[in-house]
Amino acid sequence: MASTTPATGSFPSPYEVETLPGCEGWEEMYPYYGRFLESRREADEGRFWFWNSMHFPEPMPAFDVICIDSPYQGIGSWQNRVFAVPPAMGIDWRVVNGYIYITGNPVLDPEKVAERAEVFQKRAGYYYENWDELYGTWRSNMEQLIKELSELEVPDLPEYEPDEVVRGEQNTSFYRVQDAYSRTLRMGDLMWQHHFELLLLGYGAYQTLAEFCKANLPDIPDQHIAQMVAGIDVILFRPDQELRRLARLAIEKGVDGAFRQGRTPEEIDAELAQSEAGREWLEELEKVKEPWFHMATGDGLYHFYRSWLDEPAIPYASLIGHVAALRAGQEIERPTEQIREERDRLADGYRELLDESQRRTFDDLLNLSRRVFPYVEEHKFFCDYWFLTSWWNKIREFGALLARHGFLEDGEDVFHLTRHEVASALDELTLTWATGGQPAGPSHWPPIVARRKEILERFKQWNPPPALGTPPEKVMDPTLIMLWGITDERIRDWASQVEGGSTLSGAPASPGTVEGVARVVRSVDQIGDVREGEILVCGATSPAWAPIFSKISATVTDVGGVMSHAAIVCREYGLPAVVGTGRATATIKTGQRVRVDGTNGVVTILEDADG
Amino acid sequence: MAEAPLTQTLDALRSADEPAFGGKSASLGQMLSGGIPVPPGFALSTAAFHAFVRESGLQRTIDDALSHMTVGDVDSVSAASRTISEAMRFAPVPAAVEEEIAARYAEVAKAAGQEEPPVAVRSSAVGEDSSEATFAGQQETYLWVRGVEHVCDAVRDCWVSLFSPPAISYRARLASAPEPAMGVTVQLMVDAAVSGVMFTCNPVSGDRSMIALNASWGLGLAVVGGEVTPDDLLVSKVTGEVVREQVHSKEVEYVPDPQGRGAVRVDVPAERRDVRCLDDAAIAALVDVARRVERFFGSAQDIEWAIARGAQPPEGVYIVQSRPVTTAPPAEKPPAPAGGDALSMVMATFGVKPAGGGQR
Repeated sequence: MASTTPATGSFPSPYEVETLPGCEGWEEMYPYYGRFLESRREADEGRFWFWNSMHFPEPMPAFDVICIDSPYQGIGSWQNRVFAVPPAMGIDWRVVNGYIYITGNPVLDPEKVAERAEVFQKRAGYYYENWDELYGTWRSNMEQLIKELSELEVPDLPEYEPDEVVRGEQNTSFYRVQDAYSRTLRMGDLMWQHHFELLLLGYGAYQTLAEFCKANLPDIPDQHIAQMVAGIDVILFRPDQELRRLARLAIEKGVDGAFRQGRTPEEIDAELAQSEAGREWLEELEKVKEPWFHMATGDGLYHFYRSWLDEPAIPYASLIGHVAALRAGQEIERPTEQIREERDRLADGYRELLDESQRRTFDDLLNLSRRVFPYVEEHKFFCDYWFLTSWWNKIREFGALLARHGFLEDGEDVFHLTRHEVASALDELTLTWATGGQPAGPSHWPPIVARRKEILERFKQWNPPPALGTPPEKVMDPTLIMLWGITDERIRDWASQVEGGSTLSGAPASPGTVEGVARVVRSVDQIGDVREGEILVCGATSPAWAPIFSKISATVTDVGGVMSHAAIVCREYGLPAVVGTGRATATIKTGQRVRVDGTNGVVTILEDADG
Repeated sequence: MAEAPLTQTLDALRSADEPAFGGKSASLGQMLSGGIPVPPGFALSTAAFHAFVRESGLQRTIDDALSHMTVGDVDSVSAASRTISEAMRFAPVPAAVEEEIAARYAEVAKAAGQEEPPVAVRSSAVGEDSSEATFAGQQETYLWVRGVEHVCDAVRDCWVSLFSPPAISYRARLASAPEPAMGVTVQLMVDAAVSGVMFTCNPVSGDRSMIALNASWGLGLAVVGGEVTPDDLLVSKVTGEVVREQVHSKEVEYVPDPQGRGAVRVDVPAERRDVRCLDDAAIAALVDVARRVERFFGSAQDIEWAIARGAQPPEGVYIVQSRPVTTAPPAEKPPAPAGGDALSMVMATFGVKPAGGGQR
């Protein structure tokens, strides 16, 4: 690629980033193709790499790399090989000190773009025309896949094979373990294939509406466009809705006394189990759990984001909060009627302002967006939450198997091996189980795991720069724009922030201005530290963070656009929000006073933390 | 025409009264009829001007002076103007006209609850658009006028302006010059706590869903005259939310002269300087009025407004003037393919160039 001087500022070369002290050799836990290799230095220095802190806010454990490879195999397949999006192929990734940087592969040859345009129009047109039917098929495919995964058995390795093997009804355990592992991996791939089937087209319809609105009404706030399109009865809101219903039920049944601040789910359940009414409530809870407790406690791309089933303390904290609010006479319902009215009022209001000739286009684009957007909102529940939390648990079963045979000290350690190393360990385990030989694994793997854990801890102390390499003259990739909000303006902002300063800018995601004390939260397990009235500063949020939005006074995120989770929830709660600041978590420290101007997208650090 | 009344209250006027009362008075009357809060007042018709010329016997002086004038000769035009103006200034306002002014002024005083309320006296051009009126000298304004006698003087000064040098040479150059005539508007002055201008679109981007509001402390002079950097707000017409705002330091403001005449410039007290001068209720009231004015005229408007001291909006919000926005850039049209087909536009988002070679 020709090296032109970009007008958008500059970032460090990825080859100049130094390995953190004490982390020497970190590269070995990642695949060779994910590294900035000398062999492709010239090409990679000329590309623009931005930290994907939306999906990978924390250093990447070795196994979790599968959640980079598979999604990018999926997104690239659909974008590049199925739909042939004219100007963009797929996404490449690299790892620096454990953090994941990505960039798009553009199509530069105009003839190729034109050729792809023909393919794209035909295939995307087919999808838009048959959307409802295709989405119906998609859902049944996903439900089928989730069912298969839940039924998949991870066998143990017994002293003697059961009689079924003798009768030819069952394969031997060595084969069954190998088969289960490869099937688990392939199911993950299949989920990621499904994940991206409809997503790009869904975002594209929305993006087109947004551009149309802005071309005609240049100052229309992004959140108004989002509000006109946003679904009302989407699945994503169901889990919390069910919790609110359970909270009301607890009060109706007179068992709300069990939901006291500071109690564990077990203590609450134990008290409930003592009364008839309490047992009825618990029965109702069991019904709600399938499937709504498959909600994730994070955006699902790391193994440590669990489901509500795995970490009941999270939904129970919400229950306690809802019960307390109800007793205090507060309204806890999501005001759906109000949201619906607001959505129609906005659409009518803007429609009225357009020229006669443009109203039909507006209506068509709005209807198309409303038709496709439920997918954009709902795929998260099926893929990122329900499937992925179950899938990590399946991997945990293999971890437990390896631990039982001494290959790992703890089942959880499985996530510090790559998926290929796990395959290798299982190879040796099944081999030595079969031969009765002495396995090397128990002395081979634990030191590797220990070293990697230490490196990841050190990586957590590092503040990755928002971007590396050479910014493009113009961002052309529709996926980067739609999914990550990477625009020319955003890159300029990041470049200016590399210089430092006490002001951060981002997308104005929810209006209003608030001053308060910042609380930097790096992962969902720290949300318990957040105190009433504080300003949440984080990489990004997910539905798992729901319990804290009633506590905080504003939100600032590193990554995300006006359709990000933080933006949507803050608008619902009426909290100011600035999203996509690039490095709020790196710049702002817990305890600092900050002002969040969600109307203009500006965050100002007012003073240092005390002490 | 001879039957037209000499005066009329503003709220009784409609656009059909333009030939008799002039554009400004007719437009204010029309706004009042549409429920738009305009400060109360009254209007003088061209019949009042004609009565003045007739009863004072000035017609001969005017004709004489103009017939001796050489168009294009600056000195000769000035001499003619001076002769006519001096004669007019010494001529009394006809008794019938003065009586009606006194009665109408008393009505304004009663409505305002003041003995001698301050009024603005302005010329109201007839049969000409505003750019022509500027040439024709029909843009006189006298502010903070109190008392019948001073109102009469200001009315006469408006009439005199018909014979300013630019006005008479302008008419002399026209192929068929109309008989000089004008109406006059007399309107209660609002002692504004806050005032400013607003556009019913964003004049920078052309966005019609926005109201661009400039506001500063005190009377409108400071904003119109560019003596302060006003607070600058962009408000959504659809939701009433403030979409962008810049609060500036407003160093000075104009307040009514305690002596009762005109306005004086004072420093804004430090504690008010950097504070946004509009609260949420005021913004909501202004947005509401702006929408009504725009709907009323059927086009984007540039509106001067004021909020009376001590009033709680929506009470006390007044429109002082409204004119069509003529300079707004047209909103950029989306690069839609022919027919604005939604699906083709979605395709374009993914980099499919629209048929016909349009550039995205």
